[in-house]
Order: sequence, then C-alpha cells, then structure tokens
Amino acid sequence: MARPFNVDVVSPEGTLWSGDAEFLVARTTEGEIGILAGHEPLMAALSAGPVLIDHDGDQRTTIAVHGGFMQVVENRVTLLTDRARITAGDRAEAAEEALRLSEGDPLDFEG
Amino acid sequence: MASAELRIIRRRIASVSATRKITRAMELIAASRIVKAQQRVLQSRPYVSSLIEVISNVGRDAGGSGHLLSEVRDVSTVGIVVVSSDRGLAGAYNSNLIRMAERAIGHHTLEGRDTRLFVIGKKAQSYLRFRGYRIDQTFLGMTDRPNYGHARAVANLVIESYVSGEVDAVEVFYTDYRSVLYQIPTRVELLPVQPPTDADSREGRSVSYSYEPSAEEILSRILPRYVEAAIFGFLLESSASEHASRQRAMKAATDNAAELTKVLTRVANQARQAEITTEISEIVGGAEALMASER
Repeated sequence: MARPFNVDVVSPEGTLWSGDAEFLVARTTEGEIGILAGHEPLMAALSAGPVLIDHDGDQRTTIAVHGGFMQVVENRVTLLTDRARITAGDRAEAAEEALRLSEGDPLDFEG
Repeated sequence: MASAELRIIRRRIASVSATRKITRAMELIAASRIVKAQQRVLQSRPYVSSLIEVISNVGRDAGGSGHLLSEVRDVSTVGIVVVSSDRGLAGAYNSNLIRMAERAIGHHTLEGRDTRLFVIGKKAQSYLRFRGYRIDQTFLGMTDRPNYGHARAVANLVIESYVSGEVDAVEVFYTDYRSVLYQIPTRVELLPVQPPTDADSREGRSVSYSYEPSAEEILSRILPRYVEAAIFGFLLESSASEHASRQRAMKAATDNAAELTKVLTRVANQARQAEITTEISEIVGGAEALMASER
C-alpha cells in the first residue's frame, strides 16, 4: 500500500474533506496533476474540474471544485477552493458538477 | 363599575404584557441564531488561516511580493467599509460601531484625506445619510445571514476602487465576536494587504515551491481571494455579534416588561381597593343616614 499523506479540502463555508490519502488527482490551470506521498513543495492554481482522492486502500472520493489553490508542503496537501462539493459518482459526474458550480451565479449560493 | 383610573392601568398592563411576549420571542429567535452564526464563524476559519499561510509562504519564497493589492501608496483617499445591521433592536450594537467609524472619518478629514463610504446595513446607511455624509455604495440584506456571494460583491467593489486608484487604502469597521457576552467594534486595515510577518505565520520556515503557473500569477489570483475571505469573515463576525446583542437587548426588555407589569399590578390593586373602600363607606354612610332619619 502506498504511503499516505494528509489532505485538507477547505472552502470559505467550511472544511469539506480531511484525512489521509494515498493518491490525489487535481486539475490545475496547466493540466492534471497527480500527487503521491513525498511530492515536492508545490503551489498550483486550480481550474474548475474534478478532484479525486484515493484513501483507505480502496476508497475513492470525488470532489467537484470550482477554482482555488493547491499547496503541497511536507506531505500535507491543502486544497483551498472557492466552491466545492463532494460528489457521489465517478469522475465524469464530478466534472459535470464542477461545471455546474462555475455556471451558477456567484452571488447566489448558500453555505 | 371600575373607575377610570383602574381601567387605564388595566389597559397598560395588557399592553406591557403583549410587548413582553414579543420581546421574549425575539430574544429566543436571536439566541437560536447565535449558535448557527457562531458555527459559521468557526467553519470559515480554516480557509482564512490556510490562505494566510499560503500568502505568507509564497510572499517569502517569491521575495517581496510586488503585487498591486499589497503595494503601499501615498494615501489621499481612504475607502471606509462599515458593517452594520439592517434592523435595530440590538442595543448599542450599531451606534457603537457607527460612532467609531464616524470618528475615523473625522480623523481622516482633519488629516486632509478624502473618504469614500461603502456601507453595509440599513442602520449605518440611514445614520450617515442623515448626518450628510456622501455614501458611495450601500449593501442591504446581507447581515442577517451573510453568504460568500455577499462577501464577493463587497470585495469586488473594494478591489475595483483600489485598483483603479479611486481609493489608496481601505479600512473596515465591523464588530468582532469574542463571546456571547463580549463583542467589540473593531477597525481593520484591509488594503493594501499587509504581508504577514514571520511572527504571525504559524510556521516560520521558508519553502521553495515549484509553481503552476508562476508565483506572480498565483499571488495575483490569491490576493483577491484573501480580500473576499477576510470580508466574509467580517460579515460572519458581525452577524454573530448582531444576534448576540439583540438577544441581550431583548432579554433586558423582557425583564423590564415583567418588572413593569408587577409594579402596575400593584398600583391596580391599590386602586381597586381604594374603590371598594369608598363604596363601603358610602353604603355605611347611607345606612347611618337612613337609620338616623327613621329614629
């Protein structure tokens, strides 16, 4: 099993997800990036898209993210998202949800 | 038949206890809202503290961030944001804050600086307008349950005026929520964004990141987010403070009403007793007179 690293997904309305993960995929403005434990320090701007977190062996959490930042530092990944929602389905559904988040009126959402 | 006095007092008692019911209801509503508002304040904190950490790390790593939002200029115009509430009945909540803001405006004027007012909440709006201040923009309907969209609307306006050079600094006046019993009006210098010093950041180590896309690009994206998040925090703190103040004010009102009812009831009883005494002495007097005439 891959070494775990700590992940926090936070948005202004609260912490969405927090825990240990083995693998994480996010979409930055430059393209998709996968993170494993021991990744070099990274600061990236996220674009709207799905974030996949593999954790606890076989669990996968998909989160739809609308913009934000990702910081990787000392085996700790912090995703600072403008808006994000945990989606139940697979990656395609998360991607759709992310699009919906970005289409919504930015002045019209509740926490 | 009840005398005029008694009738008037009874009417007052009825009116006071009706008021008491209303203030009591408002007290309970405010109390339930405090809890929710408090939770939202707590929930928003991890985001803001992570943002600050990131900004200070990037700032340190990229070496003296020369971004527009953090550039210090000679201040000739100050933007002032006042976070008040839309509704009153919250004790001194609004007046304390507005007075503090007004003093600051006076101070800036004395120093020869212009001010631009961005007002949140009907209370500050009506007060400042009445006093003849020119208000540049008013936001209503935000303070009861602020959401991030509200903060973004305010942040966009503030950033826009700062970037366009209309204002050279931005100060925010809001009420800091310390506890249910303790909220203090607070002044914060929001813009230019002051790079957090090493003492402020949790970990004072420097990290050399690899950036996607670039450090400058990241900073230019993250600083507006920071302003938004900060304003969101101010709105949430103010909202929690407002509910706490209202709860306290309404509790005092309820207690006063209860006290007043007690006093009025006593006065009413006295009046009733006086009436009965008068009646009895009239009857006795009448009977005496009859007996005297029969004899």
